Amino acid sequence: MSDPAITIRFDGNGRAYQPGETLAGGYRFESIDPSEIKAIEVSVLWLSEGKGDEDLAVHEFHRYNGDTGEPLDAARPRRFSTVLPQSPLSYEGVIVKLHWCVRIRVFLHSGREVVGQRTFQLGNVPATKVRPFVEEMA
Amino acid sequence: MARTFRFYEKKRGHRRTGSKTFASAGEAAFFAAMLLLGCVGAVLFVQFLVVPEWRVNHEFRTHECRVLDSRVKEKEDEDGTLYRGEVLIEYKIDGKTYKRWTYDLATTHDTADSYTSRKEDAAERVADVKVDPKAPRDCWYDPAEPGIVVLVRGYSWWLWLVGLVPISFIVIGVGGVVYTLLHWGKSTERRSAITQRVRQRDPFDANGKTRAEYPNVPTGAEVTNSPGTKLKFRLPIGQSPGWKLFTLAMVCLIWNGVVSVFVAMAVSEYLAGNFSWLTTAFVIPFALAGIGLIVVSFRQLLVTTGVGPTTVEISDHPLHPGQRCRVLVSQSGRLKFNSLKVMLVCEEEATYRQGTNTRTEAWEVHRQEVSHHERFEVKRGLPFVDECDLAMPAGAMHSFKAEHNEIKWKVVVQGDADGWPDYERSFPVVVRPRSGETRR
Repeated sequence: MSDPAITIRFDGNGRAYQPGETLAGGYRFESIDPSEIKAIEVSVLWLSEGKGDEDLAVHEFHRYNGDTGEPLDAARPRRFSTVLPQSPLSYEGVIVKLHWCVRIRVFLHSGREVVGQRTFQLGNVPATKVRPFVEEMA
Repeated sequence: MARTFRFYEKKRGHRRTGSKTFASAGEAAFFAAMLLLGCVGAVLFVQFLVVPEWRVNHEFRTHECRVLDSRVKEKEDEDGTLYRGEVLIEYKIDGKTYKRWTYDLATTHDTADSYTSRKEDAAERVADVKVDPKAPRDCWYDPAEPGIVVLVRGYSWWLWLVGLVPISFIVIGVGGVVYTLLHWGKSTERRSAITQRVRQRDPFDANGKTRAEYPNVPTGAEVTNSPGTKLKFRLPIGQSPGWKLFTLAMVCLIWNGVVSVFVAMAVSEYLAGNFSWLTTAFVIPFALAGIGLIVVSFRQLLVTTGVGPTTVEISDHPLHPGQRCRVLVSQSGRLKFNSLKVMLVCEEEATYRQGTNTRTEAWEVHRQEVSHHERFEVKRGLPFVDECDLAMPAGAMHSFKAEHNEIKWKVVVQGDADGWPDYERSFPVVVRPRSGETRR
């Protein structure tokens, strides 16, 4: 049996979005027994990358909990949709980079977690060119 | 086993891989141990420090005694000779005569804090007690054990400071355990969502709005609260030259104060004929750094006192990519300038932990000249004024602020005055995404 995985797709195969636009899509599980699923978390979030410690903020968060009696029909594709915020926009800086993504996290009864993630671009800020200047502070 | 419960984990910067359950359990155990330590400490504190003092002041009975003698007792310790002033008293209870060397409760229990390293202090403590076997005076004895007696009562001020130690352990322990249990088994995203919901419920945050219109973009309220004389807003200065001078002077004083002690030691060793290469080699780099600090502080003093204030006004705020606005720069003083430049600068700033240190690194990603003037003179009472156009780049990133990462825009005035050190003064501005509204 292959490793458990989560496939995420965006409607219209879009990868670049503008603030205020609706991001919609679906996700499905591969090689995960639906009866093994304890909870599913769907998040639309941004996270930083680069020299600094990671910052992360969730724009949209949903948790579907099997324990509360809510059926977790994991056999068929599930959908998500959200209106994207005005900021922060995706950014490819030199020591600060900001990425947007949809992250699906599945909690199994065995205690394991399976995570799937797909990035997308918010806004159209061009990547920064490196300038040979740096200033350090303690 | 290794796949489901990994003890060892790799650390990539602030990010870790490995068992979150094990990490949370370790965290909870650490805080629980602190809580336990705090509770044990608190019980011991109350039992051995608070209760005995309270009993002396509330339960000990007043009785009549006679002072027979006083002395300074000596005791040999690891730190040398210790001294304690004590008094010999005689008192009678139920027909039984007691003779005791005593003073306060600490003396009666022979605890370490009843001793002092200075003989004069020990003698001074009992100097007021008059030795006169015929004159009766008050003492206080323990009704449960009449052999325990004191001549002075009261509370020790340091007792409350000692009490802070177990209390702080308990507070940290309880806080840590509650925090760990609230976050137990929760994903990073769920924690972030919980934190954001709590912030949105804060009535003092975001003026009651459930979600900020431009998340992670500073509001810039401090920029628009001061009107300009010609243009709409007067920009606040990033760091006041006066404060910069004060900070530098303080650092310089503290550094050189500490270093001067070592320099004095090295010099006295040299004068006594005990020249030590080791001491000299140790002191030289610190002394050089001290001299460097003096030079930098003096330079800042010249800039602060010699170069007059710089003010910057702007016609629109917040700014947005592709926008054009007017900027007015005013430079006071009595100076001959070689050049004065006004620049628009964007800087990325990242904060990260390196071992136990927190470091901040800044990288300039955009620098654009707004105006440039050469060879002119500023006369007293007649400031140099320059009004120019500022064009924001069309593809500019907006201002951004999170806990560890920041993107900052600022108007920078760079001056090169004849006979004065070069200076640079920054005036932060906020850039919103293109759709952001602009107040005119």
